[in-house]
Amino acid sequence: MLHQTLPLPACLMLLLVACAPAAPAPAPAAPGGPSKPAAETPKRGGTLVLGATTDPGQLNPGITTAGGTHLVADNLYNGLLQFDERLEPQPDLAESWQVAPDGRTYTFNLRSNVLWHDGTPFTSADVKFTFEEVLLKFHARTKAGLEHVLAGIDTPDPQTVVFRFKEPYAPLLRRLDVVEAPMLPKHVYEGTDVQQNPANLAPIGTGPYQFAEYVKGDRVRMVRNERYFKAGLPYLDEVVFRVIPQESSLELALEQGEVDYAWSLPGPDIARLQQSPDIRLVQAPSGPGGAYCEDTLIFNLAHAPLDKLEVRRAFAHAVNRQQLLDQVRFGQGRVASGPIASTMAWAYNPEVPKYEYSVQKANQLLDQAGLARGAGGTRYGLTFVFPPAYQRTAEVVRQNMAEVGVDVQLKGLEVNAANEQIFVKKDFDLGIGSYCGGPDPEVGVTRAYVSTNIGPILYSNGAGYRNPRVDELFAEAATTVDQGQRTKLYAEVQDILVKDLPYLWLLENETYRAYRAEVHGLRYWAGDLVETAYRDR
Amino acid sequence: MARYVLRRLLQAVPLLLGMIVLTFLLIHLAPGDPIYALAGESGDAAYYAEMRARFGLDRPLPEQLGIYFLNVLRGDLGQSYVQKQPVLPLVLSRVPATLLLTLSALLAATALGTWLGVVAATRAGSLVDHAITATTIGVYGIPVFWLGQVLVIVVAAGLGWFPIQGMTTARTAATGWALVGDVARHLALPATALGLQSLALIARVTRAGMREALGDDLVRTARAKGLAERAVVYRHALPNALLPVVTVVGGHVSTLLTGAVLVEIIFAWPGLGRLLYDATTTRDYPLLMAIFEVVAIGVILANLLTDLLYAVLDPRVRYE
Repeated sequence: MLHQTLPLPACLMLLLVACAPAAPAPAPAAPGGPSKPAAETPKRGGTLVLGATTDPGQLNPGITTAGGTHLVADNLYNGLLQFDERLEPQPDLAESWQVAPDGRTYTFNLRSNVLWHDGTPFTSADVKFTFEEVLLKFHARTKAGLEHVLAGIDTPDPQTVVFRFKEPYAPLLRRLDVVEAPMLPKHVYEGTDVQQNPANLAPIGTGPYQFAEYVKGDRVRMVRNERYFKAGLPYLDEVVFRVIPQESSLELALEQGEVDYAWSLPGPDIARLQQSPDIRLVQAPSGPGGAYCEDTLIFNLAHAPLDKLEVRRAFAHAVNRQQLLDQVRFGQGRVASGPIASTMAWAYNPEVPKYEYSVQKANQLLDQAGLARGAGGTRYGLTFVFPPAYQRTAEVVRQNMAEVGVDVQLKGLEVNAANEQIFVKKDFDLGIGSYCGGPDPEVGVTRAYVSTNIGPILYSNGAGYRNPRVDELFAEAATTVDQGQRTKLYAEVQDILVKDLPYLWLLENETYRAYRAEVHGLRYWAGDLVETAYRDR
Repeated sequence: MARYVLRRLLQAVPLLLGMIVLTFLLIHLAPGDPIYALAGESGDAAYYAEMRARFGLDRPLPEQLGIYFLNVLRGDLGQSYVQKQPVLPLVLSRVPATLLLTLSALLAATALGTWLGVVAATRAGSLVDHAITATTIGVYGIPVFWLGQVLVIVVAAGLGWFPIQGMTTARTAATGWALVGDVARHLALPATALGLQSLALIARVTRAGMREALGDDLVRTARAKGLAERAVVYRHALPNALLPVVTVVGGHVSTLLTGAVLVEIIFAWPGLGRLLYDATTTRDYPLLMAIFEVVAIGVILANLLTDLLYAVLDPRVRYE
């Protein structure tokens, strides 16, 4: 008989236990909380592991706006400028610049000590080539923003580059960071098919780290650029981006120390992580995927009764945006008040009308609009098209609107299908999307409100809103160089838009980023995330 | 036997062609537009029109299918919209990781499942039999994705016995035997998550097959001849009970590949399943087609291998 059979499962378990590492010792008790100031002197050395939820696919950030690619690839390159924590432009490859009084000419003085990772000197010819042969052809945001306004780029000498515009152009200084305009090597890409060049998988940049290895679907490894043009930088020996598609696995890997940084977290776990002594959390309104993003409810103004202002204002009073912030976003961000996020302080108008949560006011407005309740208490029904990321938001909206007699039928679609239905087919009553304003309103705000941008394009004027005065204001703001004057123009346009409500701006998104307590110097608001990062143990 | 293999391979060709047509139509007819993966989300109408023309997306569907077919016959499966590289090398580069995961899961499930089935069958009616039966029935009903999450939370994060994610440790680049050990540690949990359901099924089928085989005349004869019980069970009864197990295992390969997609996402295992997930979300048509074709070929070969294994296990089976 086989009753004397060795207890194989037990043996296997013993083997597994013997092979497994010891469980980590519990962390010493220490208060958690917000990010602490960096240590006195950055420590050199070590490897930083960052978690990314998508595979970059390829490592040329000049031919894509995909956040997943930029998160990784931007650390291998530089822009002419970079942003400080307040998103103010600072020198990067350009050490200084002059703007002509008429705002049509920008002259940049480039650093002279910059080398590409293969040792070739960086010059103004690289800047001209990058814009003319790469960005204006393949970087969708830069192409859309500059193609029709840029007159030409001149390179009078290897350390000087001049941008000439057809009209005064104000936003240029906020379009020259590594996210919007990474500089690529002319000597590598000239004469080749930029999109097929092998350097897209083994990049040559000027960045603080240089490419070492890309294992598709798994990791990208970078090593210190010993000839980086900023003295003393970078601090780390190596940086590894590990692809972990599941947010919950990424979070656990961060807690266990398998990774040092996570750029997104499951909302329900944020409160718990905030108490952890080993983890630091920061919120940032910007990053490699975009800046100043707002969850925005899109009214299809061509569909009655959403063409009535009272109905749209009723939505503004009936939708409980604080509930969305607390229960759907777990506090990540703030309630939005208009088309420009409050964190873009210079352009934001705090005096716009506010629509406070009030079921009573919403009911009054709907009565005024002539939408009486029927026998079952319902005034009318409409369809809400949304991608999966907004499932819970849609449910809250449905619940809120039911209280005022509006029956919102939910139509959740896969993200590509939802975007197509909203922006291309325009087959929706309510839609939703995250409109990212960008570092300047001209980059990402204008496109949603000008009548010239009503068409089958994602994140265009999906509501179909037309207001000649708004068109005028945006056009004037784009060609006004004086920031004070631009502030006034944007203030007026925000006032008009908030009164007209072609959209309902729900929440300003500020996603939490998390990193291990021993890590410092992360530039989490920018594309060049790890330029000044270091570990203190 | 060689003629049989050749005939089976030739029969697979129309099957593969039909699969290509069906999947091409399905993915192109599904809502969603790959133009945004190709051209970004900030382009204007003229730019998108230019990109559509460049990639042939503005042509009628039958024409696109025809062009694709001709290219496939020339060995060109196209370029990935997102990664801008030929898709076939891309897909083949991810096959080893998935093969390692699925074969490890399958081998472990087969070995353990067969052993458990034998133990249950030889102790039929006992507490051990009931425990194995109850456990395997329960385990069979556990969804792979749930089990994977539980293993991550309890075993990896909670107990710290195994890594949470990846195929190797990101912080250090191991080589040689250290790399083998590193991969093995990372493989343990995803293979367990993927293989447990198969293990339960194999145990059940083995038990049933063994019960039948142990009641057969040949077993009575073997015992009458005075053979040791271990020899009776493993040398005489088990080979006869294995044929249905082979059928189940062969048919289970496609289920394992489906489960691999979920397991690879949960454990960040860099295999074909992850690539499929990424390609689906970005509507990367050429990459999707290449993945389906490679997987289909794999399933066809697995079925062929299953049939050939019959001939090895049962001398009465002959293929002409």
